[in-house]
Amino acid sequence: MSLGEPLVRTRPPARPVSGTAVALRGVTRLFGALPGLVRATLHVDRGETIWLCGPNGSGKSTLLRIIATALSPTFGEGTVLGHDLVSGRIGIRARTDLLGHHFRLYEDLTAAENLRFTCTLHGLDPAGIHAALDSVGMDEVADVRTGGFSQGMRQRLALARCRLRDPDLLLLDEPYAGLDVDARVVVDDLLAGARERGRTILLASHEPPPPALIDRTVSIDGGRLTGITGTTGEADR
Amino acid sequence: MTSVTSRTADLGGARTAPAGVTGTAGTAGASRSTGVVRIAGVAWAIAVKDLRIEVRGRYALVSVLPFAATMLLAFGFALGPGRTLLVQTAPGLLWLAALFAAVELFHRSYQAEADGGALEGLLLAPVDKGAIYLGKAFAAAVQLLVLFAATTALVIVLFGLPIGPRPGLLALTVLLGTVGLAALGSLLGLLAVAARSRQAALPLLVLPLVSPVLIAAIRSTALLTAGRTDQVGGWLGLLAAFDAAFVATGFLVFAHLLED
Repeated sequence: MSLGEPLVRTRPPARPVSGTAVALRGVTRLFGALPGLVRATLHVDRGETIWLCGPNGSGKSTLLRIIATALSPTFGEGTVLGHDLVSGRIGIRARTDLLGHHFRLYEDLTAAENLRFTCTLHGLDPAGIHAALDSVGMDEVADVRTGGFSQGMRQRLALARCRLRDPDLLLLDEPYAGLDVDARVVVDDLLAGARERGRTILLASHEPPPPALIDRTVSIDGGRLTGITGTTGEADR
Repeated sequence: MTSVTSRTADLGGARTAPAGVTGTAGTAGASRSTGVVRIAGVAWAIAVKDLRIEVRGRYALVSVLPFAATMLLAFGFALGPGRTLLVQTAPGLLWLAALFAAVELFHRSYQAEADGGALEGLLLAPVDKGAIYLGKAFAAAVQLLVLFAATTALVIVLFGLPIGPRPGLLALTVLLGTVGLAALGSLLGLLAVAARSRQAALPLLVLPLVSPVLIAAIRSTALLTAGRTDQVGGWLGLLAAFDAAFVATGFLVFAHLLED
């Protein structure tokens, strides 16, 4: 992919897939006495791309972190890619990637070393590292330590990690935050490529992604799923 | 809502199965063997990563080692110029300096993980979390051995501490002692980085629990540097027992601490 390519304007053909990617039933997460997520019930089919929208502190990140198993639900139950949200954590983690507010990089390691470490942890073939870096325009700095990288470069490297892992379920938390126009194209290309391969994507963002890249929009406010637009699945209060 | 069934269809491309993910074939023995290899591979990767970060950042060199050296110098001045007293107290001072420097080292090791959110990356990796513990403990033990070698040289020069007639047993004491410190510190360092009080919490957790290791190591070192070997075996046995207990405990409970 070159960074100069135009942003995708038409909805890329998603690979036909069937089944349930995410099924949450009455999931609540409390932080002390404060509710981060309240009785969230959500069904996401495989291959769908969902945009989670809502104000700061609405529960978007909490929802994504619960699906990624970084947080346990206080109440409720659910499955992700067929694995139970609590007892099937390892199975979920093997096939899910969360790109959150932190980029999970080691500053004293180079870009390639960071990705090689990811390969070891996830049992991936490191042969794809340079292709992943090239896909976000960072192959030239593969051997540079990430401590000197700008915020945008770190985010690109984190996106390269997502490409390298190519998970079945991709969870993106504010992927456009702090990015320039070129870097936004990288995010959109990641989304488009994942859609083409039939991956399921949940994207939480203040800024709307290109409409061509999303299937449904789920609104969240005060920890509650408040609305949904789209044609498949459902979200209940 | 559509009913949810357990599905295992893999939409992903070719990849090796991470440890812990149920496979479809293979004997139990082969799976166990593969699991052990995978744990060893992940532990080695974690250790190499930690040591590479340390070598490049030189954190121990610029902060931990000067701290230990300053502490030894301060003890030396406080005890005065009497050589007999210095030699008698040197084993204890050596291990105390190593202990306090180790606390800083453990804190730094986990702080590096927490700062960039990398700890969450370890949490979400589909690996046996015990492997992460083993890797971090191994890297900490290597760093502690280097640190101990430097502080021992300083103690020999400053306090005139003799090596004794059994340097092999002394080296074994150092090895077992540092493994014990690393095993416990690598477990409690994780707790400390999650605590609100952070750095202040680590010494409070480490110091009481590490006392048996510290006492055995000091006693064994004191006997060997005094040229005696009569009770050394017992102290070394105690050190080995605590090392085994700490490593086993760390391997088993690390996942619970990381998840919670």
